[in-house]
Amino acid sequence: MKTVRSLLVVGLFLLPAMLSVAAEMRFPPPDFQTDYKIPDLNSPAPVSSNGTRDAIILFIALSVTTWMVFKARSRRGLFIISIFSLAYFGFYRTGCICPVGSTQNVMAAVFLPDVGVSVAVLSFFVMPLLFSLFFGRVFCASVCPLGAIQELVAIAPIRISPALDRTLGLGRYVYLGLAVLGVATGSGFFICRWDPFVGIYRMGHSFGMLLAGGAILTLGIFVARPYCRFLCPYGIMLGWMSRFSKWHLDIPPSPCVKCRLCENSCPYNAINMPIPSHLVGDPEAGKRRIRRLVYVSPLIIAVGATLGYLSYEPLSRMHPKVALSERIAAENIGKLTTDTLETRTFRAGKQTVDELNAQAVQIREYFKTGGAWFGGFLALIICLKLIGLSTAPKRDIYTPNKETCFSCGRCYPYCPVEPLPKRS
Amino acid sequence: MSEGHGIDRRDFMRGAAAAAFVGGAYAAVGDKGEEMVWQLDPNKCTQCGRCSTHCVLNPSAVKCMNQFNICGYCDLCFGYLQPGSRGRDTGAENELCPTAAIKRTYIEDPYYEYVIEEEKCIGCAKCVKACLVFGNASFYLQIRQDICINCNECSIAKACPSDSFKRVPKLQPYIYLTGDVSTTKSQPSSDPNPPQTTLGPRSENS
Amino acid sequence: MLEKKEFETNDFLWRLSSAVAVVSGLFSLIVFLLLIFNYVQIRNIDPIDNLLITQMRQEYASLPEKDDALAQRIRDLDLLNRKAFFTSQHHLRTGAVLLFIGVSIFMISFKGAFRWKRELPKLDETPTADKEFLAFAQSRQLITWAGVGILALGMASALLTESLVMKNANASVAPEGGDAAKAGDGKEPIQVAKAEIALPTWDSMEKNWPSFRGPGSLATAHFTTAPVDWDIATGSGVRWKVEIPLPGANSPVIWENKLFVSGADKDKREIYCFDINEGKVLWSKTVEDLPGGSQAPPKVSEDTGYAAPSMVAHGGRVFAIFAEGDLVAYDLDGNRLWGINVGVPQNHYGHSSSLLAYDKFLYVQLDQKVDPKLMALDVATGKQLWMAKRSTISWASPILAQTDFGPQLILNSEETVDAYDPITGTQLWSQVCLSGEVAPSPCYKNGIVFAANEYAVATAIQLEKPGDAIEPKVLWEYDEYLPEVASPVGDGERFYFGTSGGTLVCLNAKTGEKLWSEDMSDGFYSSPVLVGDRIYVADTGGKMYIVKASSTFELIATRDMGEQVFATPAFMDGRMYVRTQKHLYCIEQKANA
Repeated sequence: MKTVRSLLVVGLFLLPAMLSVAAEMRFPPPDFQTDYKIPDLNSPAPVSSNGTRDAIILFIALSVTTWMVFKARSRRGLFIISIFSLAYFGFYRTGCICPVGSTQNVMAAVFLPDVGVSVAVLSFFVMPLLFSLFFGRVFCASVCPLGAIQELVAIAPIRISPALDRTLGLGRYVYLGLAVLGVATGSGFFICRWDPFVGIYRMGHSFGMLLAGGAILTLGIFVARPYCRFLCPYGIMLGWMSRFSKWHLDIPPSPCVKCRLCENSCPYNAINMPIPSHLVGDPEAGKRRIRRLVYVSPLIIAVGATLGYLSYEPLSRMHPKVALSERIAAENIGKLTTDTLETRTFRAGKQTVDELNAQAVQIREYFKTGGAWFGGFLALIICLKLIGLSTAPKRDIYTPNKETCFSCGRCYPYCPVEPLPKRS
Repeated sequence: MSEGHGIDRRDFMRGAAAAAFVGGAYAAVGDKGEEMVWQLDPNKCTQCGRCSTHCVLNPSAVKCMNQFNICGYCDLCFGYLQPGSRGRDTGAENELCPTAAIKRTYIEDPYYEYVIEEEKCIGCAKCVKACLVFGNASFYLQIRQDICINCNECSIAKACPSDSFKRVPKLQPYIYLTGDVSTTKSQPSSDPNPPQTTLGPRSENS
Repeated sequence: MLEKKEFETNDFLWRLSSAVAVVSGLFSLIVFLLLIFNYVQIRNIDPIDNLLITQMRQEYASLPEKDDALAQRIRDLDLLNRKAFFTSQHHLRTGAVLLFIGVSIFMISFKGAFRWKRELPKLDETPTADKEFLAFAQSRQLITWAGVGILALGMASALLTESLVMKNANASVAPEGGDAAKAGDGKEPIQVAKAEIALPTWDSMEKNWPSFRGPGSLATAHFTTAPVDWDIATGSGVRWKVEIPLPGANSPVIWENKLFVSGADKDKREIYCFDINEGKVLWSKTVEDLPGGSQAPPKVSEDTGYAAPSMVAHGGRVFAIFAEGDLVAYDLDGNRLWGINVGVPQNHYGHSSSLLAYDKFLYVQLDQKVDPKLMALDVATGKQLWMAKRSTISWASPILAQTDFGPQLILNSEETVDAYDPITGTQLWSQVCLSGEVAPSPCYKNGIVFAANEYAVATAIQLEKPGDAIEPKVLWEYDEYLPEVASPVGDGERFYFGTSGGTLVCLNAKTGEKLWSEDMSDGFYSSPVLVGDRIYVADTGGKMYIVKASSTFELIATRDMGEQVFATPAFMDGRMYVRTQKHLYCIEQKANA
């Protein structure tokens, strides 16, 4: 308003009306004497999202991957499918919509009234999970565009210690919790917002996100698939499904001979190695640990939930309305001396500061509930992890860890065992 | 692990889980499973200029359009000319549009037609603001649906200070200004690949 | 066994791919740096709002006639600018593609380098089983520590994030205020106000001088007698004279036998109460320790100062507001009743809108850069009773006009004159007629609102009510002379105002015809006041002019006040109270005048 006005030349008595006033027809539409026809507006229809086609291609890609993992046992084949997925789901389809992000659309349909999710998006969410329930994480192996780009750059991977791996893996649960909280409170789709690779597929994004993508890929040369292992929220669900999968990739095609050759082949620490019984030691010690944890876990979860509840203030700042109301308050008491486009726009609008603050207080209430769930969820996960690690199981042979194995097939070439001749 | 002979308890659980999962998911869809696309509501827009800077596409998928049935066809068009400009031609000292994307055509005395050349428009909303303040407000911004890649979270929506962006049904992807809709009927896009922005030199008349 | 193809090595291929990897890696790095450089460059070429072009266009528009050479320069620069922008964009796109190709080649060759010198699996010395077993214990420890870490982080962020809004959520005043009875910093409430207070009627307000420019801020004295003959130098006609300790541009206000002014500098803010008969200080108070107050003072210009808004006396209370946005209420004996901070006013000369009160409302016009609003507070408690959102910045003060359609609160702003219902806060009408930095307040007489400002026009607005709504009708406009600081006054037939150039102007109220204009001397900051059939007005040089209110110019007297005058004098029954730069005078009509 003001900028427009300042450009006005003094003496031009066309004083602007207030923007808040609905613009009226200052100049009546002309009554043409010639046979001029008012042209139609060019309003082209949306680009077809090809939801059905993409879903079919996703299904085919998953099926071919499954075949590569189980029948062909070809690392190379999986690698080629990765290239295809990166090209198609990544660069050609610009990364939207992917199963990882579709989590949020489904959550939105669950949490928010009046928000639905189309069948195509839903099938994107469901299909990889179902495949995971039956065949393990074949989606991660070479269909996921985010995984594919990392898989392709993971050239000189080092193995980090399993303990560090498991601990950093908690990051995924934090991310998932934040993403669900973001959707449920209407703060936004954080998984998409902080997707480090989508900018690379689109060759365009904010400068910061592009840099972050480059940094994660550079790290990914040496620490294979950092996003999948430490951040991917969808991977949690895939892992849960894969844990109970009916079939899963096996390192040797027939009984393992414990030659130890595959030990260092997995950059993801996803190979369960044998633990002889003399190490497992006293089973009672483990049981005692579990009992202690089970007794104390309700307390831990309560502490987590309480802390989550108490953290509603920092968490609620993720919501633009809460952030705006705080900013306005800070400007009003002179704590901040500059205004932002958001606060200027708000002040020029119809809503009063009190109304905004009332809304922000209301949103904080959601965050109190959501924060308690979030904190409780994290505490529960930590308890479960500790319970799961309480006893070292006795193991005889080398098997993939069904929950964390990406079915990438890197271990295949290291295994000297030949497949058994087919019995027909 | 399990050698798949027949259906054991686990398989049954798995099947039940899968069925429940898919069923539950479809229940969540409800009857709101319509496909949606992003669009901005011109009635909320405050012409802040972020549409041209925050789209993941370059140039932005947001373009200006002129709703002809509201346009006054003014000779002195504030959406076209700099405030206080002396001439009414395409000289850079007169023209408001930074990319010279508005085409002015003489119709009859005293009417001129203003058409937005979309391949040049960057969605900066300068003309929209001027037309809103001084004119009939027939210029307004819209996402061109044939360019937009429909991100799951629209980058402009996130940055929009007036909360103008929302998802609309794919079958009605434009939010027109009120008025006779005779000039707003949707047309199939003849060109699926919009031309790239090129540097169209302003005509050098004076 | 391990004679698989995957483990073949090839020295030549290894060397080749290593070399390609090094070259493509360097190439990618260079492209990457160039891209960043280009990106920074593109951010500096703003094709939408190029500053230089905008300036040149403004210059071109302000020239008296066409300048083809300048027009050509604008065109050239514009073309160059757009070319540069699109070239950079093109570079950016090309660079992205090049980087993509470079990185792809680098990845492939890097992979090749590894592939052709692949090492056979080495077996560690330590038995794996031991490591695997130990990993369980290590994981347990590390995860526990991580849990503790998350807990600590959560605690810290929960404790460190403080909400300004929530802090005041329980206070009933708008969040930037805070109720006096619930000071946010845990201080004891200052004093809970008495619930019932006697509110003055309009009649009793008219018989006093309760606010800036008198009753309703209309610059018209109820009493028709005022001194004409006095001499500051000899003291003749001066009933009393006192020095005011702290400076302030605010004008004296009077309720019955007490006169109030405020003064402030950068560090201190004070309120003074004088006895109107003897001029002795009845009490003076330092304003401090306000809940939410004591903000750092904002930057103010020298002629605004820290105490520009005049006080208002109403309902046995007196109110003052200062540059920091601190608003205080005292009873007439100097006991503080409540105090709040309305937020530091964001305006670049300093807050100068005077207070006004009516019924149970105290009005604060806060036309500022951010969140401009008109607040109506409860005079008893300081709680906000209603608030109207404003849209622009201004330095004018509200007036209260008793129109045929009921009382109206009329405000000048940067673009509009707006009227509100003083009881409900509903906007009654609005008229676009001003522009620039508006300091003069409106005035009202006989159904006509008159508003004017330098760089705009002077406009007379007739109020009509054809239907349910009051409709403003522009009677006439005039733009030869315009006031910049001082506010106008009307006597029903004519409107009078003084300009910063030192001209006194008189216009016909019905037609806008200029009846007379006289160059006096220095500029006018103090507003003219109508007393009976005379206009009293002081200029910044310290001269008080007494002019007849008529269609012809007739100077009755000129009196030197000895010091500069910025404040508007107050008039009570034959006396005039003038605040000069340092002093307060009470001038009395001599018995024989």
